[in-house]
Amino acid sequence: MKKILSLVLSGAMCLGLLAGCTSSTPDPTAAPPSDPPANQTEAPSEPANEPAELTGTLKVSGWDMEVPGSLFKAVIDAFTTANPGVTIESIDIPAADYGTKLSVMLNGGSEVDVFWVKDADTIYPIANRGQMADMSSYISRDSLDLGIYNGQAEDFNINGKQIGMPFRTDYYVLFYNKDIFDEAGVDYPSNDMTWAEFEELAKKVTMGEGVDKKYGAYFHTWQACIQNWAVQDGQHTIMDTDYSFFKPYYEMALRMQNDDKTCMDYGTVKTANLTYTGVFSDGSVAMLPMGTWLAATMIEKINSGESSVNWGIATLPHPDNVEAGYTVGATTPVCINSASSNQDLAWEFVKFVCGPEGAAAVAGLGGVPALLDDDTLKTLTSVDGYPEGALEALQVKNIVRDRPVADKVSEVNQMLGEQHSLIMLGESDLDTVLADMGEQSKTIQG
Amino acid sequence: MAVREKASRGTPPAKKEKRGMTLRRRNTLIGLSFITPNFVGFFVLNLIPILFAFWLSFNRWDGYNPMEFAGLENFKYIFSHKVFQQAVIKTIIYTACCVVITMVLSLGLAVLINQKLKGIGIFRAAIFFPHVASVVAVAAVWQMLFQKDMGLINEVLRFFGVTDVPGWFASTKWALPGVIVVSIWKSMGYYMIIYLAALQDVPTSLVEAGMIDGANAWQRFWHIKWPLLRNATFFVVMMLTINSFKSFDLIYALTEGGPGTATTLLSQYIYNQSFVSWDYGRASAAAMVLFVIVAAITLLQFRIEKKLDN
Repeated sequence: MKKILSLVLSGAMCLGLLAGCTSSTPDPTAAPPSDPPANQTEAPSEPANEPAELTGTLKVSGWDMEVPGSLFKAVIDAFTTANPGVTIESIDIPAADYGTKLSVMLNGGSEVDVFWVKDADTIYPIANRGQMADMSSYISRDSLDLGIYNGQAEDFNINGKQIGMPFRTDYYVLFYNKDIFDEAGVDYPSNDMTWAEFEELAKKVTMGEGVDKKYGAYFHTWQACIQNWAVQDGQHTIMDTDYSFFKPYYEMALRMQNDDKTCMDYGTVKTANLTYTGVFSDGSVAMLPMGTWLAATMIEKINSGESSVNWGIATLPHPDNVEAGYTVGATTPVCINSASSNQDLAWEFVKFVCGPEGAAAVAGLGGVPALLDDDTLKTLTSVDGYPEGALEALQVKNIVRDRPVADKVSEVNQMLGEQHSLIMLGESDLDTVLADMGEQSKTIQG
Repeated sequence: MAVREKASRGTPPAKKEKRGMTLRRRNTLIGLSFITPNFVGFFVLNLIPILFAFWLSFNRWDGYNPMEFAGLENFKYIFSHKVFQQAVIKTIIYTACCVVITMVLSLGLAVLINQKLKGIGIFRAAIFFPHVASVVAVAAVWQMLFQKDMGLINEVLRFFGVTDVPGWFASTKWALPGVIVVSIWKSMGYYMIIYLAALQDVPTSLVEAGMIDGANAWQRFWHIKWPLLRNATFFVVMMLTINSFKSFDLIYALTEGGPGTATTLLSQYIYNQSFVSWDYGRASAAAMVLFVIVAAITLLQFRIEKKLDN
């Protein structure tokens, strides 16, 4: 029995070890970079040393790729149009499961070559496991200037390794329902408003009772929808262990929820499984601070006739100590699997989707590419269905990362989410919970 | 014996011995061929992962890079982790409530349903149905029923004059009782069927003898049927205990362990450690603790059963 036991144990260990050392040798069949251009087709902005025709197959994973208006699908189509010799096999995973599924896939030694990372807090753990290939050598080979990404590329530089390239950037703005403001006879939200002004404005546009009640504001159940305003000035991050800087924003949210009743009750939203898209597109809330990703969804909903809300966009309200244009956001990186045997081709794909062509495809659907300049912003806000004044509203001065790329972020984030619900449900006193958050964060971060 | 005689009929007596050996070997092979598929499945899908998890609990592993031996560090961490301590207590409360209430209710239902009534099959099917229904669908329906402001349950409570209605899944105090209610409702039908089968095995002659001796319905149940249901009760309690301890899917679908960590039981804790923190060592250590608790309780139950048998 002892013998069998030791055999089994050592067998299991060997398996584990094997999984840990999957080979990452580049595929010799990948297109050599020095091929002279044979039949130059599109993409005039590509550097001269670019191989004219790329061939091969890439496995690319993303989420909700079949949902209408998918930016992933748009850039993949743009890439295959420009490079007809390349076949892209998409691995489409539902958004809600993406984080877990991606990690399980990578741990299992999947053959995926390129992947997008959905949640900022999962970037570091994946990089830390060594599953993201370092793109530095490709970047210097192609003399790519990362400065064009306004500092976002540096976020994905961990210990000198460039483990991801910025693909799209989403940041919080204020969505509002023009019909409700018109009905209340109140001016639309301005692009320069403090959170205190936002709170006052919410009182003016809260109307009605019961099922027909129009709420002045809506904070979604994510902790980000309160905690983000506390990190917006760039002074703190969620990795701080003294969370007293959250306090003013929680107090505001609790006042609005419990005293003024100008925003929907957290418990109701949570237990009724309400979605922010749902409450905004059915016209029951006047103001919704939410990420720019909602714009494309709203356009889609209006076009398909699912919603008839007359909506607008304003700049996110700001804390007193910073000016308008300071916002919170996250950049979605695209990464290469370090176990991929096709890294040369994978890099060509990454370079394309994060480059001008990819950015154009993203902006063409109303998404915000990471490669953002005034022209791109103009392009995306002129997409059919974008409200008037969006160009001004989307101007930003500074984007603070809502979740930094660092060790233990997912654990801290999970803990903050649990504690957030206790505050919003009124289960515990605010100061007690904030103190407890600090204690737990210290334990987690060691 | 009969088989052997039949097989050896018509063979020369000299070869009888050898033939017998082959037959025995053949029987052994047949026997083995019956248990092999199950054993291979058990070995590959259960035993190896269990032993691997045991080993993992003494290591640090992110699921990808080589493991590092960590000694008892994982255990030290989880035992000092507040969420883990609470998870153990909540798991025990959850299990105790589920086992006792489910057992009593399923026995009561079985007694009620063990009658010759027209259309009794419909009632039996109706009570059994929750066991068959999909967990996710069940969770969605119960979330609506338990909804704080518009849910049916709170409407009924308000109708009966309760003004301060519980928040159920939106309250740390009421979330666990809510989860227990759903869990009991879901598993009751299954254990009812087991009790029903056992009740139908009770010889009618004994019950009739009791009736002749003037025992009333309660006395007939308590003195005749209940002792004869002991085997069924043993099985029900054991299965309920094990299933309650490892409860995961229903709670995950109902509350995801929230609000806060109000319904984070051990299995949810293990899930969080492995699929949020990607720390398989700590997850395995917590799983080992769960295993030890369940094994100890099961052994205790077997002991008690044996004692009662004597």
